[in-house]
Amino acid sequence: MATARPGWSRRAQYSLFFSFLALIAGIFVGLFLLALSLLAPARFETIRGAALDITGPIASGLHEVTATAEGLVTGAGDYWDAAGQNGRLKREGAAMRRQIIQAKAIVQENRQLKAALHLREAQHDAIAVGRLVGSSFNSPRRFAILSVGTSDGVRIGMPVRAPDGLVGRVIDAGALASRVLLVSDRANIVPARLLRGGIPVISQGRGDGTIDVRPLEVGRNPFKRGDIIITSGTGGLYPPLVPIARVVKLDDDGAVAIPLADPAITSFAIVEPPYEPAAAAETP
Amino acid sequence: MVRAALASKRKIGEGPKSFAMFVPAATVVATSLLAALPIVDQSGWYPDFGFLVLIGWRLLRSDPWPGWWAAPMGLANDLVTGSPVGLSIALWTATMLALDLVDRRTMWRDYWIEWGLAAVLIAINEWLQWRVAALAGARVPIETVVPPLMISICLFPLCGWLVSRVDRWRLGR
Repeated sequence: MATARPGWSRRAQYSLFFSFLALIAGIFVGLFLLALSLLAPARFETIRGAALDITGPIASGLHEVTATAEGLVTGAGDYWDAAGQNGRLKREGAAMRRQIIQAKAIVQENRQLKAALHLREAQHDAIAVGRLVGSSFNSPRRFAILSVGTSDGVRIGMPVRAPDGLVGRVIDAGALASRVLLVSDRANIVPARLLRGGIPVISQGRGDGTIDVRPLEVGRNPFKRGDIIITSGTGGLYPPLVPIARVVKLDDDGAVAIPLADPAITSFAIVEPPYEPAAAAETP
Repeated sequence: MVRAALASKRKIGEGPKSFAMFVPAATVVATSLLAALPIVDQSGWYPDFGFLVLIGWRLLRSDPWPGWWAAPMGLANDLVTGSPVGLSIALWTATMLALDLVDRRTMWRDYWIEWGLAAVLIAINEWLQWRVAALAGARVPIETVVPPLMISICLFPLCGWLVSRVDRWRLGR
């Protein structure tokens, strides 16, 4: 079809012409669908969910294989220098125990104070627990594929966290798998605050696995290296007091932080209901 | 040279496979499906495998598939990779059209011209992905697109070689 001159055959000329028309029509269909998916993303929920149901289980199955292989390798590695590791772990365990006792005391005190203030706190149970089995490794967006879907109760807009910290929120949900917008995506803006001092900040992904944090009030840069950023619960989507990231580098009016829950090594991700159910309706 | 040409390894009676017509499109969809691999990576530096194979086929032959097939293949790519539906449909079909027009202009081709063409197409692809991500609310600095672009361009010759091997297999040569 690409030959410049198909000859004298009228039929060949027409078929060349119509193939060009088909291509131009294809471009317009694509642009129309693209505009639609940018302006009204909800329109494609079903088909994107169905596609996730095809790719999600593949990723889950292969993830089991690679996890087993990795487990064998790291398992063998653990025997190496086992004595040194044992001593280090014992020291860490002892330090941890002291901190846990302290934390338990604080929790108890907190409960008493809250009871005194008649503060009620909504209880949030996990909706589903899954694994992060894949990611959008070839685009500027940061998505991950989670191995649970609507059949487990997952709905679009629900926050996802790991034991280490916040992972992101669900943006596509199939019956068997769902897609998570990670906190390191540029479009994921999380109201947060500094653990040290409680200064309100805004966390926004940078698209390369790190996070930009900016103070809400313009002025002196409040960050220090090693600072922990936690969610503030403002906006009602993410629950408060979930750790998000650790500051690694300062820049002129904010800082760059690394998410505490690294999706690559997080073994489990927990889907929770939106902190205030009304917020779920607003999230795209 | 002459002897090598005479001593063909080709087996008598072995012709094109019966499904040869669908092999190119099937390989494109299969490479799109690489997005389902359990790779959890936050750099975004991996190449767009489906697109690389698409232009690999199209630069190797002018007729790997009827041009409009690029639209459904693009839809499959969009759904699998999670990019906004329509991005690859428009881009892949436009690539087919652009290469048809290029074919009408160019008098001759060699490896360097093909690699240059592929580099331009890959750059357009990366830039459009970046632009659409910005429209969707994720405006990352344009510098972050440079490493995946370089990686994709460097990977294209390998991709073209693999495509040519598959082409010889499907035609029974």
